[in-house]
Amino acid sequence: MAVFDTPQEAFGALRPVCVQLTKAQTWENVAQLQARLGAVSAPALQELQEYVLFPLRFALKVPGPKQERLVQSVVQCISSVLAATCVKKQELLQELFSELCTCLSPPSALNKPALLSEELKLAVIQALHTLMHSAYGDVILSLYQPSTLPLLGFAVSLLLGLAEQEKAKQIKISALKCLQVLILQCDCQEHRHLDEDGAQQCGDLFASFLPGVSITLSRVITGDIKQGHTITVSAIRLFYQIVGLVMSDEQLSRVPKNKEKLSVEQSRISELMIHRGPDWSKSTAEKLTLLMHKIVESSSVHPHWKVKLELVELVHHLMKNCRQSLVDSFSHLLKALVGLVNDENSEVQNRCNEVLQSIAEQRIVAENRALADVLSENLHSLATALPRLMNSQDDQGKFSTLSLLLGYLKLLGPKINIVLNSVAHLHRLSKALMQVLELDVTDVKIVEDRRWGSESSYEPSGCLQKGKCQKKYFRFFTEEKVFQLLQQVCRVLGYYGNLYLLVDHFMGLYTESVMYRKQSAMVLNELIAGAAGVGVDVLHEREDSVNMDDLKGSITSILDEYTDQANWYLITSIDTEEVGTEFSVQHSELPASPGSARSSVLIPSSDPHLSTRTMNGNIWQICIQLEGIGCFAAVLGKDFRLLLLSALYPVLEKAGDKTLLISETAMGTLVDICEACSYDSLQCLINENSDYLVNGISLNLRQLAHQPHASRVLDTMLRHSDVSLLPLVEDVIQDVLSTLDQSYDNQASTFLRVLYSLMAALVQWFGTSCSEEHQQGQTAEWRSRTLSQVQQQQLVTRQEVERFFLDYVRQKQIAEGNLPDTDDEEADGVPPLAKPEPNNSDTEGETPLPSHAQLAKDVMERCIHLLSDRNLRVRLKVLDVLELCVTVLHPHGNHLLPMAHRVWPALVTRLISDDPLAVLRAFKCFPPLNARGPRRHLAPPERALLPSPVRAPTYQPPSREARWNGKAAE
Amino acid sequence: MVLYIRNQLMSPYDIYFRSFVALMALPPPDPEFVLRGTSAAVHTLHFSCAGQEPDFPILFSGSENGFVHVWNLKTRRVDTALDGHGRKSVYWVETLDAKDRLLSQGRDQRICLWDLAEGRTSVTDSVFTENVGFCRCSLLKVAQGRWLMAMAAKSLEEVQVLELPSKTSVCTLKPEVGAKLGMPMCLKLWQLDSGSQPWLLAGYEDGSVILWNLSMGKALSQLVCHQEPVMSLDFDSEKAKGISGSSEKVLSIWSLNEQQNLQVHKIHKLVNSGISDITIRSDKKILATAGWDHRIRIFGWKKMKPLAVLDYHTATVHCVSFSDHRNPTERLLAAGSKDHRISIWSIYTQT
Repeated sequence: MAVFDTPQEAFGALRPVCVQLTKAQTWENVAQLQARLGAVSAPALQELQEYVLFPLRFALKVPGPKQERLVQSVVQCISSVLAATCVKKQELLQELFSELCTCLSPPSALNKPALLSEELKLAVIQALHTLMHSAYGDVILSLYQPSTLPLLGFAVSLLLGLAEQEKAKQIKISALKCLQVLILQCDCQEHRHLDEDGAQQCGDLFASFLPGVSITLSRVITGDIKQGHTITVSAIRLFYQIVGLVMSDEQLSRVPKNKEKLSVEQSRISELMIHRGPDWSKSTAEKLTLLMHKIVESSSVHPHWKVKLELVELVHHLMKNCRQSLVDSFSHLLKALVGLVNDENSEVQNRCNEVLQSIAEQRIVAENRALADVLSENLHSLATALPRLMNSQDDQGKFSTLSLLLGYLKLLGPKINIVLNSVAHLHRLSKALMQVLELDVTDVKIVEDRRWGSESSYEPSGCLQKGKCQKKYFRFFTEEKVFQLLQQVCRVLGYYGNLYLLVDHFMGLYTESVMYRKQSAMVLNELIAGAAGVGVDVLHEREDSVNMDDLKGSITSILDEYTDQANWYLITSIDTEEVGTEFSVQHSELPASPGSARSSVLIPSSDPHLSTRTMNGNIWQICIQLEGIGCFAAVLGKDFRLLLLSALYPVLEKAGDKTLLISETAMGTLVDICEACSYDSLQCLINENSDYLVNGISLNLRQLAHQPHASRVLDTMLRHSDVSLLPLVEDVIQDVLSTLDQSYDNQASTFLRVLYSLMAALVQWFGTSCSEEHQQGQTAEWRSRTLSQVQQQQLVTRQEVERFFLDYVRQKQIAEGNLPDTDDEEADGVPPLAKPEPNNSDTEGETPLPSHAQLAKDVMERCIHLLSDRNLRVRLKVLDVLELCVTVLHPHGNHLLPMAHRVWPALVTRLISDDPLAVLRAFKCFPPLNARGPRRHLAPPERALLPSPVRAPTYQPPSREARWNGKAAE
Repeated sequence: MVLYIRNQLMSPYDIYFRSFVALMALPPPDPEFVLRGTSAAVHTLHFSCAGQEPDFPILFSGSENGFVHVWNLKTRRVDTALDGHGRKSVYWVETLDAKDRLLSQGRDQRICLWDLAEGRTSVTDSVFTENVGFCRCSLLKVAQGRWLMAMAAKSLEEVQVLELPSKTSVCTLKPEVGAKLGMPMCLKLWQLDSGSQPWLLAGYEDGSVILWNLSMGKALSQLVCHQEPVMSLDFDSEKAKGISGSSEKVLSIWSLNEQQNLQVHKIHKLVNSGISDITIRSDKKILATAGWDHRIRIFGWKKMKPLAVLDYHTATVHCVSFSDHRNPTERLLAAGSKDHRISIWSIYTQT
């Protein structure tokens, strides 16, 4: 393209046009020159720079009104020359600078951009831009001397005026760009960096413009959103660049105490100069704070993400450069930054995180007390406002408010303790958390949902999911992410904060009021997780990771509190079966102070008019505590094994709770514990710790009135373990039975549940075959299929029956008083009959019963007593248990039969004169009982009832009838 | 308020006692915890809890099946089970200073010295007593690394005193000819203060207690305390007062006067008969008895004031032992019973 490479050629080509232009300043001539310039190579033009510029500058200087079009083309031409060449002379630069500025504003209308066309303005701005870029490094510095201050000021104010008042977007942007160049902060890479002195000098100069620039820019930034985001972005950038330059800590620290005396000729100018002393910087910072507040407020909610991104940059830049001088502004800046961490735009988010990270890494907050104070103040005010905000805002608003809270905490990092050590702050913060975390306890379903596990078949223990938190419903928010934020807040607190202090404080709240109990338990759980560094997302690592002993200590004390009777045994249902008995027990036991071994037995006052709300609350309370235990286990890992001593029992107790939510949560906790303590399965956990559990059960059985749940633990153990558990618990089952013997009156139903579980477990473990048979036995075809077996059974037990019968006759005679005379004969007669029995019944009679069968026998014994309980439910339950006992005892007919005979009278009574339900259930007991001990042999005792003086003969027909009818129905 | 002022006038110990007495009106206290798993009747117990962290408190138990169980009281589980008496009942265990040197006496007529350091479980030394009775030995530390051990000897009425660890016989204590004391049933070696002359108190089958002078090998005083064999005795050298129990319904408290004569001080009547073990706590303030009636009884030692009846076991209690925790509030009482269980009671915290 370049046609004229040498200066000579170029000169030859340009000269006529230049001459022409000098003679007549017309638009055409300028255009001609412009056209020629295109054909001149840059080095050639450099040689001819001044020569070419002369006619152009002349055209601008010619007095009198000028055509706008001409001016515009001249300016464009100048900028094209400048774009290709360098300005090497200071004078030229200054002159061109001032001439260009004058174009924008004729001297007549000072400081007000003349009413010029937008094109012209744009052209001038661009020319200025080009000029600044074409000047050499040293040369350009000449523009930044105190002597040129007025000129600079003039340019700045012009450009600011344009940026603020122009309508055209392009002009505004160019003006801002130009300003940026003017303060030597151009984005392009061509500029060399100022050395310290240079920067200091510029800083001094720009200080004079700072008020004007900052105010105008802040107006631009907070201006109409419709102006477009580019302008706002540039304005923000310019703002932080100039502020960052002038208020830079580095420069301010080097400013001498007193203003330098300048030479006399400069004295006028020196009046314009500003001395950046401490007073000045302080007052400026105050004013800037106001501006920044405005800027932050408007731009942090700006719809365009680039504006937010630039805001982040602003914070970053100022954080980096003006840490001390602008410390007061940081409350706003950090708020903005922290608030943007969770912006919906990922770029803003990432950048924000980067900046936060860098702030944290540079330990800006950690080492700067003032900043920490600012943050803690922010935190305090936010905590104060939090409950109100949580009440009024929508979920999005809540989310951002909480992000802010979290951000503050994260930024504070290890300095969190400053906040925590102040009682007022801690109080505010904790109260805020308490209010925000308030649960919604109106759901009736929570209370209604029952676990009917004892009736249903066994829960397969293999398919339990890992204990995940139950979904909670909060009063003030519904979104899960809000809860996650709150979780993070607590965890960060735990991560950095003084654990003892925090735990102590929240334990205080826990005990202070029922209102706060659930929330503080939740907070405590998260605190511990945070302290252990579980699932906590922080900006920088704490210096010293938590001491395991401290953690263990805290956990132990929390655990003690959680499982304290007053906090563990809350009323969660008004189940008549359960609570009814508990109430009566409490009332009867009340005078005898229950302050035995356990320090304070505070069973919550039994208000009969418990609201659903309270019970729902109680259920959640227990669930949260259970989740906490799971969390503690996860935190301590194998170290938790030691705590199983005290923790496992209560959890198992709750696993057997009738409220579905509680038992589910407890199961989750158990799974957590299994995993944390590296047990292979729930069975393992239970079996290996059965000693602890058995200890707890046996001790609590002694305190039955106050510990009605002891049997429930055994129930759960049986439910979730296998046959290997039996030898471990045999001991305690005997305890259960003997306790039952002492409390048939009021605790029968509780015990029956465990007896049922026990028998069901035994049936499952030992009697797979019998139980199958038993099920089939309820159908008619069973008999035909196992007929041979039955016959075999008959053969085996014939001796037994014979003996029984003879025995019975003798007993009856004794009872009837026929004894004395025939006594000798009778007595002699019996032994020989009994004698052959040992030889005969070597199969079963003599071998000691296996333990499970012995247990079944023992249980059956109790059933006999309980069959005539006053409570229908109990009777029904007993019949269930009885059926299972018979199933287990089935292979040991020699033991079953006598028992069956003993059961008989009570069972018959059930059939004759009981509630239809019980009659029905009693019938169900028949087939197994009958199948095991064949009908024929059972008949005698029943028939024997007849002559008994107690039973009138009238009782018999219905019983028999009923029985045979029952058979027929099958 | 009144209570507060009264408390000011009372010594803390009085308060402790009073609350203990008040406790008796309440339902019976529970054991702190119960150790199960010996699968045999427990005959003897011995604590070793004086160690500092990270040492954990230990309880040794000897049971009828010949095992010595080492219980970790922190986890409340058996750490190790020592099998050194050929499945014959172990009826005495004691440590030599540290918990890793253990003496155990069994019905196999042997006394074994165990080395338990660093997880070892070996018998390093043993003494063959040739005694067929079931008299527990008594151990007394006379100097650093020197102990005296009294044990029933081969011939029925004799007691032999050995020096440990050298196993050299110090003396053999024979009753006068024709004394008809029967076998020694229980022994107690004691000295007034360390370095002074050691004495032996021995309870015999005929119900008498004899004070032996070891250096002269001579019985100084004999006191018939019981009509039945003396099952157990303990002696408080500070108050020069001792207590013994037999299969009768009484506890006999006797004292030793200046002239080294044993005198009956008091007879304490019990409801049920049979005492298998008596232990005075090391601070000499209370004592515990193991009863055949399944109960543990706690008395104030000074006036034999009954403080508590601890009812947990379902069979004869064979032995009681107080722990030697450094911190008094941690101290425990353990009782071993025929029902295979060891119950651990916290006496201090129950106030």
